[in-house]
Amino acid sequence: MKKLPLLLFAVTVLAQWAAPLLQIWKHERTLAQGSVHRLKCTAPDPYDPLRGRYLAVRPEQEESHVDKGLKLVSGQRVYVTLLDGPDGLARLSSVHLTPPESGPYVRMSVRWAGTDGLVHLEWPFDRFYLNEKLAPEADKWFAESIRSSKGVVAEIRVLNGSAVLADLAFDGKPFREILKERVK
Amino acid sequence: MAASSHRWLHEQLPQWEREGLVTAENAEALRRRHAVDDSQPGLAQILMGTLGALLIGTGVIAVIGYNWDDFGRPVRLLFAFFPLLGSQLFSLWVLRRGHAAAAWVRETAALLQTLAVGAAIALVSQIYHLGGDWPDFLFWWALLSLPLLWLLKASAVALFYLGAIALWAVHQCEHGHVWHDSAMLYPLLLLGLLPFWPGWRFDKPLSLSLRWAMTLSSGFGLSAAAYEAVRQHFGKIWGDGESFIWLMVMTVTLLTLVPLRSSALAAPARHKPQVVLGFLFLIGFGLLMTFQEPAEEFVKHLGKAVGIPWALGLLAGNAVFVALALWQKRWALLVVVATAAIPALSLLPGHALAPLTPWLMMAYLFTAGLGLILLEFAGKRGAPRLGAALISLLILARMMESELSLLAKGIAFILIGVGFLVFNLVLGRRRRPAGS
Repeated sequence: MKKLPLLLFAVTVLAQWAAPLLQIWKHERTLAQGSVHRLKCTAPDPYDPLRGRYLAVRPEQEESHVDKGLKLVSGQRVYVTLLDGPDGLARLSSVHLTPPESGPYVRMSVRWAGTDGLVHLEWPFDRFYLNEKLAPEADKWFAESIRSSKGVVAEIRVLNGSAVLADLAFDGKPFREILKERVK
Repeated sequence: MAASSHRWLHEQLPQWEREGLVTAENAEALRRRHAVDDSQPGLAQILMGTLGALLIGTGVIAVIGYNWDDFGRPVRLLFAFFPLLGSQLFSLWVLRRGHAAAAWVRETAALLQTLAVGAAIALVSQIYHLGGDWPDFLFWWALLSLPLLWLLKASAVALFYLGAIALWAVHQCEHGHVWHDSAMLYPLLLLGLLPFWPGWRFDKPLSLSLRWAMTLSSGFGLSAAAYEAVRQHFGKIWGDGESFIWLMVMTVTLLTLVPLRSSALAAPARHKPQVVLGFLFLIGFGLLMTFQEPAEEFVKHLGKAVGIPWALGLLAGNAVFVALALWQKRWALLVVVATAAIPALSLLPGHALAPLTPWLMMAYLFTAGLGLILLEFAGKRGAPRLGAALISLLILARMMESELSLLAKGIAFILIGVGFLVFNLVLGRRRRPAGS
């Protein structure tokens, strides 16, 4: 058999493994070494035909002030610093075109830049996947909790601009624990 | 000739021999010339293989979609990588067998591997709660499956790839912001199908479904690229829709003019979907240009459209293909494609003549229609039905625009319809061989 097809096949196999493995490496590193931040959320509940049931997670804060000289266009990649408040919740602080030298920051894309000095941003995560069995109970829990003044809080890990959604919590209690108690 | 036709011929030959229609030697010569290769699978076998692979693959995706919450991340990741590894080993086995592997096995292996790749990417995004749009997922999935097209020459993967890149390109309209993240990447993605491009030495005749899929994918993908080129050039699309239509016209003419091998020139029209769809589009465009208001509006935007770099590329491609069509003497094709150039003629002496565009277009379409009919009656290869349809449509367009009463319009429509049917009948009789 000719060598070229085998070589091409080997490269294909490598690429097919490398694509998911790189994602795994990047997200495992962020989960292991990233700093923890909490964001207040708002959300509905949809379904993805390929990846199953998920809760749509939408951090409450989706905009930030920008310096007057900074011209941003829709779709542009920016680096946004996170500032933890006294209530333990993180807020978007300042927008940069290059990674800031200090402090935690998240790489986000610009939805649109308003004329009022505000820029509307897109978080790098928007869903929390669930087991099909737990999903109906999770729907109920989410609908009840999201209306409460305490609200649902997303726990994220941040490292070098990469942000991974680690868990959801309500009143300081992890989402899975609450769900397991409710299902009992 | 298709394998099914060969089989039919073999079934008929004994009867023909008995009836004395062919001699035993002639029958043997026909058997040798149209031999039936029973080692190759039929369409049904390929379809069953494809269906089996699809069911297994979607089953794996559904099992993954269940989200096995009780297992840790490493175990869940294994769920994704085991099917991937299994399908890759199967493909390797098929690849090593080379030509000894039946076509349906190749199709099955390639499709299984494609689905396993999709499942692996999907599971990783599920485990790490990654967001992102499904077209982005589709894009990477298609790219990672592309080499299987080259290696296993699987039509099912080709169909998947064509659909995926077209969907991605259409979705990227308004979403992409740099050319390599926008629909303008589509032509490069289309180049990934080179092994299936007619004329390559490892090319096998394209199936009809693949021809149509390729034409439709190119049509949507290149139109999306044209849309994006206009949007990125002007910074918006609102108010520049006419420029987009011009770029689409240039895209359609380019696709219609794609050079064909001499053997493909004589093939029936259904084997050339790019020509069929191109003709329909261009005739529709030509008819639209016979109306005063849209014609003036479009002509006004022609100068702006030609200033877009993407349009210059399309014009250059068209120029090359027109030269090749002239060399191949594809006259009917050139006559229809020239419809797109007529509005530009009215601009030659300056914008003052732009209002004449509908008249110029009408005269051109009428002459072209008449020419296509007369060629046939002069004993040359024309397209009389297309010519008659063109003239009928022109008359109908003028009737719609006229101030005549509904009754008069109705009668005119009936008369044109009857005339068209009579012409069709006369033409059918004229072509029927004497004595039949």
